[in-house]
Amino acid sequence: MTSTTSTALPAVERPQPSTARAGRGTRRRMRKDLLRSRIAAWCAVAVIGAFGLLPVYWLLATALSTPESVFQFPPKLVPTDLTLGNFTALAENDQLIKYMVNSLIVASITAVLSVVVATYMGYSFSKFRYRGRRSLMHLVLASQMFPQALLLVTLYAVFSSFGLLNTYTALVLSFTTFTMPLCVWMLKGIFDTVPDALLEAASIDGASRWRTLHSIVAPLAAPGMIAAGLFAFVRGWNDFIFALTLADKEKQTLPPGLVSTYIGEFQTAWPQLMAASLVVSVPVVVAFMFLQRYLVGGMTAGSVKS
Amino acid sequence: MSTAAPRQKEPPPRRTEGRLSNGAFALLLTAPGLALFAAIIFYPLLSALFTGFFQQDLRLPGREFVGLDNFAYWLDGDFLTILEQTLVFTVGATLLPFVLGFALALALNTGLKGSGFLRGLFLFPWVIPGVVVSFLWMWIFNANYGVLNGVLVEAGIIDESVAWLGRPGTAMLAVIVTKTWASFPWMMVMLLAGLQTVPKELHEAASMDGAGSVRRFFAVTWPQVRGVASIVLLLEFIWNFQHFDTIYVLTGGGPAGTTETFATAVYQTAFNGFDIGRATALGGLWMLLLLLLVAAYLRITERKGDV
Repeated sequence: MTSTTSTALPAVERPQPSTARAGRGTRRRMRKDLLRSRIAAWCAVAVIGAFGLLPVYWLLATALSTPESVFQFPPKLVPTDLTLGNFTALAENDQLIKYMVNSLIVASITAVLSVVVATYMGYSFSKFRYRGRRSLMHLVLASQMFPQALLLVTLYAVFSSFGLLNTYTALVLSFTTFTMPLCVWMLKGIFDTVPDALLEAASIDGASRWRTLHSIVAPLAAPGMIAAGLFAFVRGWNDFIFALTLADKEKQTLPPGLVSTYIGEFQTAWPQLMAASLVVSVPVVVAFMFLQRYLVGGMTAGSVKS
Repeated sequence: MSTAAPRQKEPPPRRTEGRLSNGAFALLLTAPGLALFAAIIFYPLLSALFTGFFQQDLRLPGREFVGLDNFAYWLDGDFLTILEQTLVFTVGATLLPFVLGFALALALNTGLKGSGFLRGLFLFPWVIPGVVVSFLWMWIFNANYGVLNGVLVEAGIIDESVAWLGRPGTAMLAVIVTKTWASFPWMMVMLLAGLQTVPKELHEAASMDGAGSVRRFFAVTWPQVRGVASIVLLLEFIWNFQHFDTIYVLTGGGPAGTTETFATAVYQTAFNGFDIGRATALGGLWMLLLLLLVAAYLRITERKGDV
């Protein structure tokens, strides 16, 4: 009752032109309508929510279970003997720590490289009009859609001939293939919001074009640049296929590292794998909490402007 | 509809100091990016298209020109099967998350209490690394101790555990469900963003005029989100058409090749069979199909005045 009245309030406070026409019956029907759509909405949220969140629950529950307790059928839906042992086991695994350090290094360098290069490119696309600009923009946009598996085959051959296999360089460069296009488009969208009048004012005050970009526009666009960088970091952190193929145990990142560590030939250490999965997810989840604000804006600006 | 104002505002003419014209300066800004694109995307891609005409071992230097042999190998063999399976995966993993994401976006857009919190919570499956998604569902689908089998057996829906990922009949379905779980939140976020551009007043007015919820959906909501919907569908389609991680970790293309798609087939041919000529030949055919999709995508964004 309270929810229906409270949502009906704004319409009363802020009368629409058509309110005059709406009689008592219409209003009652509308209220019933609203209630019905509320119920439908809650049903949808409940059903899809169960699909979306029960697996997350299972991830947590397994990560907190002892290795022995998960090997029984049917599985216990509510784990009884909870343990943090699977997490402490991670901290003691030197190889996993090495994978994590590799992940941090590679994803960070990828983020910085992507943002620096994409800033210049995005700025050029946003604030200048020149011949070939649209074609270049299309090229950048299209390049995020080339099949990665195919790209990987020849990148492997290229890196191999330059002796770059099993190096951070190979990983950073290959990650950049899929971070750059989106970063360029995100940053173009952000520079579009910087008013041209500001650039004009800077120019009249005698600032050079480089200075305008570096000391006036870039600080303004900094939040967007951070968002793009986080996005690139996450993509690099998450990558599986390039890191699996281009690097060995020494330089591999966490996602393929987890496969080689835990997916056994006969029996997988599920609780430990789930615990490790949670740990891998933490930086990404934290990054996205910050990113949320920019996420929709950036993605709509980048690829789905409506 | 169209106004007199130009679609894209021209920036004000700026004083050109130094030797560079504005155009040259702008191109200079793109140079590092273009160099990177050329080195890590366009050169490898061109080289891939070229390699398809050679017989080459990934581990060995040197190669031998074999003309169209590699292409014939696929076209006379598994090409149609792989195409069909790729399409099944792509269509399933695009439509299912679209329906779920749209339903959820509509629900959250009605202004439920805590919908901001829910939106954040539902993002989790999309945010976590793809390989974690695969591990989790591999465990859920596990033939011996999986929770899915546990629940279904307890509920009496199935008599005994099913090896979901190990049976030709169910493996593709399992892969699609996994990918759906990972991508419906993205659909939800994008469609919610689209829905929020629909002015509330429009709904209220339509409702005053006696339009029911179904009528309002098609008359008010759909026309406003159609643009976003068509682009997320196409983007998701293109991404799924080349998706690799989920399939590779869950089934590796098996059992008996029933979840083999272009991505896994190209990868396995190159890195397990070491036959880089055949791998890139299949990749070339795959590219050709993808280009058609990408062209469609560019067409749509172009028409919407995005570029």
